Amino acid sequence: MSRVQEFPALRERLKPQCEEIIAQYEVSRSALLPLIHLFQQHEGYASPEAMRAVSEMLNLSLAVVESTVSFYTLFFRKPVGKYVLQVCRGLACAIDGADDIMAYFREKLGIGHLQTTDDGVFSYEEVECLAACDRATCMQVNLEFVYDLTPQMIDEMIAAMRAGTYPVAAMAQTEKPPKTWTLRQDMEVSQGAKSAGALDQPAPNNAGGLDKDGIIMLDRILAEEWRFKGRTKERLATEEPAIADIFENGATH
Amino acid sequence: MPVTKVLMAGIGEANLRDIAVYRDRGGYKQLERAFKTMKPADVLDLCEKSGLRGRGGAGFPTGRKWSFLPSNDKPRYLVCNSDEAEPGTFKDHMLLEETPHLVLEGMLLGAYGIGSHHAYIYIRGEFKRGAEIFNETIEQARKAGFVGKNLFGTGYDLEVTVHRGAGAYICGEETALLNSLEGKRGEPRLKPPFPAVAGLYGMPTVVNNVETLAYLVPILEKGAQWFAAAGTERSKGYKVISICGHVRKAGNYEVPLGTPVRELIEIAGGLRQGRKVMAIQPGGGSSACIFEEHLDLPYDYESLAKAGTMVGSGAMVVMDDTTDIVKAAFNLTRFFAHESCGQCTPCREGGDWLETVLHRFVEGRALRSDIDMLMRVGHQITGINLCPLGDSIEPFLLSVLTRFPEKFEARIIKEAALPA
Repeated sequence: MSRVQEFPALRERLKPQCEEIIAQYEVSRSALLPLIHLFQQHEGYASPEAMRAVSEMLNLSLAVVESTVSFYTLFFRKPVGKYVLQVCRGLACAIDGADDIMAYFREKLGIGHLQTTDDGVFSYEEVECLAACDRATCMQVNLEFVYDLTPQMIDEMIAAMRAGTYPVAAMAQTEKPPKTWTLRQDMEVSQGAKSAGALDQPAPNNAGGLDKDGIIMLDRILAEEWRFKGRTKERLATEEPAIADIFENGATH
Repeated sequence: MPVTKVLMAGIGEANLRDIAVYRDRGGYKQLERAFKTMKPADVLDLCEKSGLRGRGGAGFPTGRKWSFLPSNDKPRYLVCNSDEAEPGTFKDHMLLEETPHLVLEGMLLGAYGIGSHHAYIYIRGEFKRGAEIFNETIEQARKAGFVGKNLFGTGYDLEVTVHRGAGAYICGEETALLNSLEGKRGEPRLKPPFPAVAGLYGMPTVVNNVETLAYLVPILEKGAQWFAAAGTERSKGYKVISICGHVRKAGNYEVPLGTPVRELIEIAGGLRQGRKVMAIQPGGGSSACIFEEHLDLPYDYESLAKAGTMVGSGAMVVMDDTTDIVKAAFNLTRFFAHESCGQCTPCREGGDWLETVLHRFVEGRALRSDIDMLMRVGHQITGINLCPLGDSIEPFLLSVLTRFPEKFEARIIKEAALPA
């Protein structure tokens, strides 16, 4: 049976627990985050069905629930791997060699930031400060801390996870995970362009600025101003002849 | 060495998660004494006299924060802020996991002091283990009669609820935290009204840091005079300082405020052989750097403010001369750009913009005009946002940019690399 078909039964099963959570708060909406946590724990991610169920329980619109869920990075919007590896890229880890650790992870797993392996075992993310800076470089595996990372530890960890002998419980997996679990970065990830992680990786998020080609383009425009001006004038002549005429001969002509 | 053990007493020696062990060491005695012999106003009075200031970042006097609560009969709430995510800070993580009963006792005292019957603790989503431990702590305390109905036979009801976040640094800001606790997006609110007037569910609310509340217990035990005697004239008492980065023994150290920075570095084992201090970030990711000449500065609110930086959450990141300061600036700027909630345009767009420009420096292909641009954009983000996150982007960047301009200039694209 598919996850969607099984959902009503799951919802029924979790009902007492949900009611208990809602009763903890003076205002029921406060239960939104804990309820999504609960469903994610059972389904491996914040599924559309779970969000709808929560919206019904709390008497909110689905849009409100979805907008809230989308704010928080620990809610996965699509299925993820059995082991979510979240490596810290915060300042204290970064000056203690997190770049090398992240590069090693990427190489060993063959995936990048916010991606899941094809076999659905590993999801990899580079996260902000995890508040364990005294034991840098650190990471979390399904939200359990691992400290003082070394390449050897990473090798052993990955092998144990593949073999299913790693001591941390695997995430629930009710569907085959896609390449990434975030909606916003789907396109960027598929094009291999997004690299918010290790500092030495090329092509970062370039919103609002110039990428490498952009700079070269800017310098070319500055150096060969006449060519670009000329082109503008030519286009103006064919596309807007009247305006081009005014530019050529002045408005009184 | 001025290392003291007040909050950190017993950590690493005894299993303080066990209520029996905690009670053997005098735990919950102050709670009982407060409920049986003190009025809420007495707790507030002690808190004010001790000079305790908020340990989460802003350093606002705790007693004064409480005194802003209006005297009406609306329900009021105490919220303990454990959304610790400031880069370099790991003190609440330790307190929460290693001595949870002390944190709970502090919360209960705080709730009693402000007359609240329901206290919440907001724990960041990543501290899944911490939240489990704290839930267990509450259950133990409930069985012992310290949480629930009719405490100590006084008729006072007090409930405690753990609320787990889900990965958002911004929820450490008190109004964003309240929104998140109400099941909304963690976006900061416009102030005023301040939480003391209209906080959780629109009711009077006090939001205090884990460490702040935990200090209530020793203050009750040993008195306001004892606490006020430590530290300096205006920065009173003790503080847990998280020291990390290029030191030999990174960790949490509890010291009286006013301990010189040089001494703090020594406490943390000193620098590695043959290294020199390049820059120190004294108060978490939001603070400006101090440098070699500031090593004798006393670590307290006033002295650091005079040096243009702050105590913040008490996270000292020490960077020695092997640090790539340009990368460090990129790293922190990326952090703030990533964690911006997106409500205010200067913070949302400016953070992204600075990140992009700084990445050009990291890759060694910045334009000469980019240095100017960093200054300009950084300056324009500051001071015009709803919450302090936007204002936190500039300090570190500006301090290292003015101190080490040559490091940034070295990353400007070479003329030869430009197309002819």
